[in-house]
Amino acid sequence: MNAIIFSVIGGVVMMFTGIITQQKKAIRNVAIIALIILLLANIFDTYGILSIHIGTHGMLNFQKFGLYFNTLAYAATLLFILISGADVTQIGEGKHAAEFFALIFFSLSGIAIITSYNSLLLLFLGIEIMSIPLYILTGGDKRNLKSNEASLKYFLMGSFSTGILLMGIALMYGAHGGFEISAMKPSAVSNEYGILDPLGLVLVFIAIAFKVSAAPFHFWTPDVYDGSPSVFTSFMATIIKAAGFIAFIRLFDNKYVELGLSWRIILPLVIIATLLVGNITAIFQQSVKRMMAYSSIAQAGFMLFAVFAENDMAKEGILIYTVAYSVATIGIFAVLEKMEDISLAGYNGLAKKHPLLAATNTIFLLSLTGIPLTAGFFAKYYMLLSVIKYGGSTVTWLVIVAVIFAAISAYYYFRVIQAMYFKTGNPEVRSYNKGFCFMLVILAAITILIGIFPTIILNWFYF
Amino acid sequence: MNVIQVLFWILSAMALVSALMVLLSKNPVHSVLWLVAVFFAISGHYILLNAQFIAIVNLIVYAGAIMVLFLFVIMLMNLNKDTEPQKNIWMKLAGAISAGCLLMILVSLIKQAPELQAKTAMMNEGGIGLIANLGKALFNTYVVPFEISSILFLSAMVGAVVIGKKD
Repeated sequence: MNAIIFSVIGGVVMMFTGIITQQKKAIRNVAIIALIILLLANIFDTYGILSIHIGTHGMLNFQKFGLYFNTLAYAATLLFILISGADVTQIGEGKHAAEFFALIFFSLSGIAIITSYNSLLLLFLGIEIMSIPLYILTGGDKRNLKSNEASLKYFLMGSFSTGILLMGIALMYGAHGGFEISAMKPSAVSNEYGILDPLGLVLVFIAIAFKVSAAPFHFWTPDVYDGSPSVFTSFMATIIKAAGFIAFIRLFDNKYVELGLSWRIILPLVIIATLLVGNITAIFQQSVKRMMAYSSIAQAGFMLFAVFAENDMAKEGILIYTVAYSVATIGIFAVLEKMEDISLAGYNGLAKKHPLLAATNTIFLLSLTGIPLTAGFFAKYYMLLSVIKYGGSTVTWLVIVAVIFAAISAYYYFRVIQAMYFKTGNPEVRSYNKGFCFMLVILAAITILIGIFPTIILNWFYF
Repeated sequence: MNVIQVLFWILSAMALVSALMVLLSKNPVHSVLWLVAVFFAISGHYILLNAQFIAIVNLIVYAGAIMVLFLFVIMLMNLNKDTEPQKNIWMKLAGAISAGCLLMILVSLIKQAPELQAKTAMMNEGGIGLIANLGKALFNTYVVPFEISSILFLSAMVGAVVIGKKD
């Protein structure tokens, strides 16, 4: 409960900071302090120290997995604000800096809810609390038509998926007579209403698949990620997306997957479609930002393996994947934010002029590809291993397909590296300070550290 | 015939007449106003069934908010008699047939439903629709979702200000 309460208090504090001061640095510092307090409160909550208990009538079920994911998500947000916080305050002529931070905090409280829900009612509230601030952040750059378009598109499509989610929840309520997912046993449903339960589950599945942009519900992703301000794309594509997968895992937890064989056919189809659409379309992109949007779809395909396998290995895997993917993507977007020209040609010759930016960017791209000695390798490794542990030789074909797509992804990630190192050009880069360089090095160091010792994340999970 | 029955027949007649007038009046603004009358009559029915909360919500949300929105849209589009498109006879026929099918299905459903035949509407009894009971459920079992939804509205409000503020 700490995470929910403190993140909301953080949001309210940010709103009042906006009244008291207009100084961007002060606003950013308040946000960082509030986030550190939130992070500490959540860590204390994980170990039962200073935690606030509220009787929720079994609607929220705080487990170590969800709380630990909160810690990782908040830590990633802290890194995000440390490296890109100054850019957040610049968006929209810098008039709404405090409000943007407040919205980010509200979004974080949504994450805390969907990592611990036990009632479908709270799943709905959590997803909405997480998404509504994002609709606003997407349209944060009010003078920019592309940002407006992205915001409207995201809002309309998002409302539609909310409708589908509600319909699904209503059907599941009708079948089980309650909202609690831990009490939902498929066998307890009488035959008369038997169809309602799987139908409702499929609708809920569609709605969450929309949020994590799994194909064929991904159509909003490229436009929205491309149109919204780069810093918010970075936040949306990493922390929010990973939280969506936790919602998935909790939904299909407690053996609810025993719905039958049909479920085992739907998920691989969605996974392969997601990998296919993400990777193949990313190859043809000329803008790095748009390429990253498609790459995030492709990465979502890999993360869906955790939902498919649904075992302890998958849970460990999704934690590592969250960190690996978030850190690398935040880093790439931080560099992208400093580029004047975000097309592939704009990166030409970056290594000569700004060797540090190019070097760290290379590490992040290698991590997303899944090259050994970077965090991305172990993230993908854990995902595939969990699937093999689940299905053995019956799912070998799925693993092979995934590996082929990982190899394809190397093509478009390496094109950026090629542009930076092997092409000549005159890239225009916005001014950046020492602190920015320091943070980039920290992110790169985390990426490599996890690539060598992936268990440091899991040790804390079991500690 | 007691008071409740008299009220029931009056409200039903009112609802039916208003619903017909929604369709028959040529001016779209009049149609919307007649629709408001329909909602008032139906709210009266809810009160007869001891469902205060639904009655109030029906008035506030439907008659209040949504109908005002309708009026705004109609006024913005500046619909009047001259701009009303003339529909041909086939369109009218198709509309009549599809609406007739819906009516037939509804009537036959109600006639066949075994749950409905044994029971009559609860009048002067049954407390499930009272605001007091709803409040008790909302502030005991569902207090956490209720309070958490305030976060949702707070963030929506902040968002509305960010998007809507002139700067």
